[in-house]
Amino acid sequence: MHHVLLDQWSRQSSPLHARDPRAKIILLGIFLIALATTRPDAGLTLALDAALLFSGILIAGLPAAGLLLRSMAILPFSLTFGLISWAAGDHWRAIGLVEKSYLSTVAVLLTVGTTTLPALMNGLESLGTPRLLVLVAQFLYRYLFVISEQAQHTRVAAACRHGAGRKYRRVRFRAAAGALAVLFTRSYSRAEGIHRAMLARGFAGTFRPLKPLRFHGADALFTIALAGVFILVRIP
Amino acid sequence: MTPAIEVRDLSFQYEDGTPALDGVNFNLGAGETVALFGANGSGKTTFVLQLNGILRGQGSVAICGIPLGDETLPDIRAKIGMVFQDSDEQLFMPTVLEDVSFGPLNHGLNEHDAIARAKLALEQVGMADAAAKAPYHLSAGEKRRVALAGVMAMEPEILVLDEPTTFLDPPAQRNLVNLLRNLPQAKLIVTHNTRFASALATRAVFFEKGKLVAEGTVEEIIQRYDWSYSPFPDADFRYSAHRRF
Repeated sequence: MHHVLLDQWSRQSSPLHARDPRAKIILLGIFLIALATTRPDAGLTLALDAALLFSGILIAGLPAAGLLLRSMAILPFSLTFGLISWAAGDHWRAIGLVEKSYLSTVAVLLTVGTTTLPALMNGLESLGTPRLLVLVAQFLYRYLFVISEQAQHTRVAAACRHGAGRKYRRVRFRAAAGALAVLFTRSYSRAEGIHRAMLARGFAGTFRPLKPLRFHGADALFTIALAGVFILVRIP
Repeated sequence: MTPAIEVRDLSFQYEDGTPALDGVNFNLGAGETVALFGANGSGKTTFVLQLNGILRGQGSVAICGIPLGDETLPDIRAKIGMVFQDSDEQLFMPTVLEDVSFGPLNHGLNEHDAIARAKLALEQVGMADAAAKAPYHLSAGEKRRVALAGVMAMEPEILVLDEPTTFLDPPAQRNLVNLLRNLPQAKLIVTHNTRFASALATRAVFFEKGKLVAEGTVEEIIQRYDWSYSPFPDADFRYSAHRRF
């Protein structure tokens, strides 16, 4: 199933995958702050940021084209606001908005693509994120998979009973609208089943990871060094 | 000897008022295997979900002598392992090893012991090679075995299996019979598969409209309710599709 691609990426091995999730979360935070406070006309800084991210993708061994393409998911939103700024005459702001939002998405995908979900959530929790928030994020992520899986089943079932050709388009559209309601009902029922199975195996509100987090010296060095680079790039 | 499961006057109705269980009394002895028969919608699954407190009705449920209550839920869930009908619902962690370790970790084992238990359970079901795989890459039979390993890793005293042969091909069903025969736990098997039940259970009970209406040996219950896949009647071609339309 293609929806598990990020999960597959996060289970590869590379120097970036090996780093403690807390190091990556802290660095992501620093990078996003540095990026957000960069002037939109600071072309060299933005280019260096992009180069850093690209190096990260290569070091992590993630498919660059796939990751960069998926990061474009943000563009419909940022382009909308970019166009509004452009229309208001603030061209640099428009360009900066699109550039920064795209680079931010690449950075987030790079972090998520090099950190397994349990490790990421564990890292967030140990950095002080409220447990309820972490739990909600975990369930949201799992249930997104459930909805996506159900959507694929529904699509296949619908496709098997569709006619081909133009005259069936309207029928297909109507059927798709109905299927959407069924999809959510089925996903809800599936999610309920998963929750029951979790309770039956003693789930009491906390996911315990198999590998407890350990922040090694190498992680500290990695965090300090990269944070230094991000700040140096940002200063001019 | 304390029964593994003791249920008295259990009744339950869903939130919309649909009655699902009506005054059920049931006992499962330690080490005993009982088959639970009944038509679709007769309350079998609702009944087994009462046993570990996932659904709560009126009446009393005791597992290994421990009465079911809010305070005893963790103990009860450690004693009763439930293999659900749909393995996909039971396998929710990213890898097989993480999934099988989920129960032991929740019951307070440290990571090292949980992994050891998970590996042992995977070995018992013949899935040791799949430890690093993602559950969605497994076949239906493999998923079923991993789901069973997930429960076995908790080392429960009772196994409840809801339609365990669903999606399994005949060889996989035979393997499951062999596997279950060698497990010492008391077992409650919800199934429509009478051959599977006959191979494992010494006793059977029959559910009808939320009531436990009969119990006896597996063969008695099958005969009394004509509950077997007898050969289908010959097709009546007078009503076949090509003639009617």
